[in-house]
Amino acid sequence: MSDIGKVRLRLPSSIKAGDVVRVRCLVIHPMERIERDKSGKIIDKKYQYIDKVTVTYLGKTIATFDTTQSVSENPFFAFTFKATDPGKLVVSFHDTIGAIYEGTADVAFG
Amino acid sequence: MRDESMTRRQVLGALAVGAVVGMTVVPRPAAAQTFGQNETVEAALKRVFGGKPIKDGSGMITLDIPLIAENGAVVPVSVEVNAPMTPQSYVKHIYVVADKNRIPVVTRAVLSPDSGQAYMGANIRLGETGDVRAIVEQSDGTLWQVKREVKVTVGGCGG
Repeated sequence: MSDIGKVRLRLPSSIKAGDVVRVRCLVIHPMERIERDKSGKIIDKKYQYIDKVTVTYLGKTIATFDTTQSVSENPFFAFTFKATDPGKLVVSFHDTIGAIYEGTADVAFG
Repeated sequence: MRDESMTRRQVLGALAVGAVVGMTVVPRPAAAQTFGQNETVEAALKRVFGGKPIKDGSGMITLDIPLIAENGAVVPVSVEVNAPMTPQSYVKHIYVVADKNRIPVVTRAVLSPDSGQAYMGANIRLGETGDVRAIVEQSDGTLWQVKREVKVTVGGCGG
């Protein structure tokens, strides 16, 4: 899976200062499920799934998600933030093998 | 064990682990605990909220999830809370809990007043037909919940 870690962020096309903006983001990630053998025993290995998502805007963390394997493959998250100043919105996904996938969007008022 | 009583599944699981490692009946559910799996929803809620009362929040929480999920592997859910988001009083956490999943606590969103609105959306997995709850914790610690039954045609949690 070479696509692992591709992050897509979607913001509304026009944002005005002071708006509460709804953002949708998606990351390509397998979110491995716990596997079991025939006897029902859990196969012991390092499962790769995203366990933390953080959203930063203007350098300030505005929301985090703690996620488990009950979240679907290629996870999608939506959240809101209050657009006060133009700047960068960064969403980073942390998975259990220590990889960090980041997506950024520029917040600009049009 | 977080919960003193073991469920049948946990006992069987522990036995299976013991048998494979060549041990007798010493339960070693350590792996299960780390993953937080095979937890009943009651145990999970007790662990997360410590037995605090949860009020019915049907007037303020909108839980948007399909009534019938054909594919349990991807179920879109969104939670919107009609509550102020000011530094004095805001929604601190939104939990999504799927009662029948082996990992009941699906996700926890930690919000701040800068979010502007208490809203979150995610795609979750559902193992089988059962209730899905949204639990909201406000900054003063008050807990509210709504739940809705979702019918799952094909489960998505696998193993």
